[in-house]
Amino acid sequence: MPGSRYAADAPHLLRKVELDGLTALFHLPSGTTHILAPPAPEILAVLGEGPADADTLLDALRSRYALVEQEGERSALLARLAELEAAGLVQRA
Amino acid sequence: MKNPRDDRQGPEIREPSRRHVLALGAAAASTVVTIKPAMAQTAASVLNCQIPVPAPEAAGSYVASDGSLVPPGTPGAVPPAMRPLTGEEAKQLLRGGPAPAGMDSQAAQAYANYIRRLQAGMSGFTCYASLQMPR
Repeated sequence: MPGSRYAADAPHLLRKVELDGLTALFHLPSGTTHILAPPAPEILAVLGEGPADADTLLDALRSRYALVEQEGERSALLARLAELEAAGLVQRA
Repeated sequence: MKNPRDDRQGPEIREPSRRHVLALGAAAASTVVTIKPAMAQTAASVLNCQIPVPAPEAAGSYVASDGSLVPPGTPGAVPPAMRPLTGEEAKQLLRGGPAPAGMDSQAAQAYANYIRRLQAGMSGFTCYASLQMPR
């Protein structure tokens, strides 16, 4: 069974300011401000290009960044996606 | 797979081509904090914020029942609101509650739909957005 697909708003609907390792992000559609730590901005950047499921997203992140090898990579990514979803920055596509 | 040059710390993301190190973190960690206005202190100002209908840039336009702006005198459309709506009034309208005194139900519906169509950058959007915040 394929996993859920996730989507994020296009970059023009976000205003970002890099803050010493953190990212302050203003989400225009909701008028809310969020402070993000890595890898949240990177995940949003990938999803901003188009919806993806967790595996595709993981591959995309792997192709762009040197992902720190860790156990439970996929569950960590799902946890990040759940946080972004709870904040209203990511939706199930 | 790792290049030693990539082994520096730091979450910079400006140059993804250099393959910065990225950790997905522990499942229990948290990477998103949403800034919520301190509602107790801001409730009053939110309810006093104002939404001009239509925005000053479109002054004089009539408001059709679906909330779009149309030329003055368009049949079925209502004239601009006599004064900006307050946040409290907008909230009532959006809930389908009673219209403010002197506003008929046709105007109330048109204005509510206009407010629903507000987008970032338009006068009154921030007020409208603040009305959507959970409290």
